[in-house]
Amino acid sequence: MSEPPAVSPSAAADALAEIRARQAQAVDATLVPNTFWPTVGGLMVAFTAAVETGRPWLLAVGTVAFVVGLTAVVGRVLMRHRAQVRTSLIGVRGGAVIAGHVFVTLALGLGTGYAAESAGFGWPATLGTTVTAVAMTATGPWVMRHLRDMMAGRPIGGGR
Amino acid sequence: MTAPRFDELIHAPTRLSLVSLLAATEWAEFRYLREQLGMSDSALSKQLATLEQAGYLEVSKSFVGKRPRTSVRLSRDGRRAFDGHVAALQEIVAQAGARLLP
Repeated sequence: MSEPPAVSPSAAADALAEIRARQAQAVDATLVPNTFWPTVGGLMVAFTAAVETGRPWLLAVGTVAFVVGLTAVVGRVLMRHRAQVRTSLIGVRGGAVIAGHVFVTLALGLGTGYAAESAGFGWPATLGTTVTAVAMTATGPWVMRHLRDMMAGRPIGGGR
Repeated sequence: MTAPRFDELIHAPTRLSLVSLLAATEWAEFRYLREQLGMSDSALSKQLATLEQAGYLEVSKSFVGKRPRTSVRLSRDGRRAFDGHVAALQEIVAQAGARLLP
């Protein structure tokens, strides 16, 4: 004769729901805030513009501002980062989404920059970086939401 | 496939929430766990001590600048125990004919 279960089926279902909710909670804690994208994008555009002026003093100021700004933005994210989600939750699909996002935004920017240069536009790199920054701002939060849903929906426990 | 193994230690409500959070992370700070679970320092410390004594947790203390930081992660045994417990819960639900959403 088989043993009765340690808990009732409804209690087991409640426990699984709690586990699922905590998994989603952990995922939420590790995503970058939406302000990250326009801030980094803005820093990139300002730095590129400083380089493209060709003026040494502007390049120096722009470089320092870029480094300080980026350090502050990334530092703020890291300081708030009080848990690290399991990389297995990101998985191959999540990695592909991240890589695809980087590739597309970079390709848009580079393509725009080269096209602008061919067309004789005076600030091709700044234009290209602006396109990248706008693409990051527009799609970054969507990518984060997609990753969140993907990670929160991964199998719990041993993967059944 | 993980063998189902119901774990009474993990199943206690507060510890289930705690272990579930840790199972989804590589590591988590003490403060993060306290805030997410809505527990006091002493209550959380007690639960962590219980799980650490069972070999399910690893607790490490470090400094970020001058700020002390306590990080917690599930040990290999803890992860195995959690996976077995989840498998056991899923088996209970499946045997009852209940549908579990993926």
